[in-house]
Amino acid sequence: MAALATSWLLSGAPARAQVTSEPSGAVVFPDPAKFARGLFTEGEVGAVAFFGRAGHAVSPGFAVGARLGYDFTRWLAVQAHALGSTHQIAGDSVLAGQLLQTYQATLEGKLTYRFSQTSIFAEGGIGVERLSTNALYVLGVEPRYRVGLLFGGGGGIDYHSLSRHFSIGVRGDFEVLHELRSSQELMASTYLRYTF
Amino acid sequence: MTRRAWTALAPFAFCACQQLNTPVYFQPDMSPLTVTGMDDTNGGPSRVETGLTLSFRNPSDDEQKLRSQQAGALGFDVPWIQRDHVHIELVYQVTDNEPPPDPSGGPSPYTGVPSFTLGIDGANEYTKYDENIVSQVLDPRNADRRSYIPLIPVTPQMIAPGQTITGSVREDDFAEAELDLYAIGSWMAPYNAVLINNSQVDPIGLEMVPPNAIVPALVEVDVNFTANRPMTLTYEVRVRDDNDQLLHLSTDTLFSPAPALFQPPAPTP
Repeated sequence: MAALATSWLLSGAPARAQVTSEPSGAVVFPDPAKFARGLFTEGEVGAVAFFGRAGHAVSPGFAVGARLGYDFTRWLAVQAHALGSTHQIAGDSVLAGQLLQTYQATLEGKLTYRFSQTSIFAEGGIGVERLSTNALYVLGVEPRYRVGLLFGGGGGIDYHSLSRHFSIGVRGDFEVLHELRSSQELMASTYLRYTF
Repeated sequence: MTRRAWTALAPFAFCACQQLNTPVYFQPDMSPLTVTGMDDTNGGPSRVETGLTLSFRNPSDDEQKLRSQQAGALGFDVPWIQRDHVHIELVYQVTDNEPPPDPSGGPSPYTGVPSFTLGIDGANEYTKYDENIVSQVLDPRNADRRSYIPLIPVTPQMIAPGQTITGSVREDDFAEAELDLYAIGSWMAPYNAVLINNSQVDPIGLEMVPPNAIVPALVEVDVNFTANRPMTLTYEVRVRDDNDQLLHLSTDTLFSPAPALFQPPAPTP
């Protein structure tokens, strides 16, 4: 009986764990390698404001846009961008209060630097823009009513949701409107990105 | 195409659709219009008139063929520029340039409360309406106290010295005027009854117009500006064009109708 009790007590003694080998690498969380990469699309809402000559004639307006792109690598992508914005004619002219829409389509390159869940990016491209009406021509701002070139770029911050496909971010772009003499535009938006 | 691809393209399709049916503005050659506010030599009010022609393209062969088929089926001519596809609005701005009252000065050379009136006439591809011509025919002797019946009357407005008033003549006003002009020019409608009455309230005089008639839109807009103070008027005509009939491309040719001037029957003594 005494021997049985002794063996029971001894068996309850704490076991000593012994590390026999170190892990091969530290656990990374979140692991950007698990984020989806490749074909992606973005939807954005924001605002567009004009500067220069057009800035005096057109109020800042609401913008909605979309991008369709492809990540070649984790840091390099190309994307097609379409953006529409709506504005009111400003000032005290006879057209004050009339609506004006702008439509833009650009092809852009994008460089990304990712650290953990967040990344920063810079982008730039060239494309075409069109005004919905000839109001700026009537007001003497634009030489004539037509489609024009625009080019420019900007940057932003992207935050990944850790759900593999989704991320959100904010961006700002500055564009030069070639046909609108001495006029530029600034676009700021927030977006939701889905990577397939 | 896969569902994934459609999903990716959907936002771009949405953006592309926003381009549809946007307006084009037309500016008169003479702008701004200025009146002195002083009565003219006949004792009539200070008045000035100007107009502009909207630039449409000629129909293509296919479009012309379609028109001819429609006309054959209906039994009457089908206009090229139709009210259902061309929507016109006019925006205007009137500024009273009268100097502020000077207590040490003499009496004002002007009479009455400062006010202005706009009367809008125009032409479709068949008929041109000019309120000045109609007024002359109605009352050739009283040049100083003529009454005018414009195609679209704009309610007279009072204005303070130095004030600027902005307004618009809406698309539905033009739609009503286009029906009236078509009725009096092409269907022998009594012009005064048609012009004075709103067809949606009292369609008097429109009995001869077939219900399936295709109403032509205006291709010319004329503005008569009357004021009893020195004032300036600026205006723009805004046109929405559903079927891309406005003249855009240099390869298109200008549609140049020759509307007949409407002459009212002389009043019986």
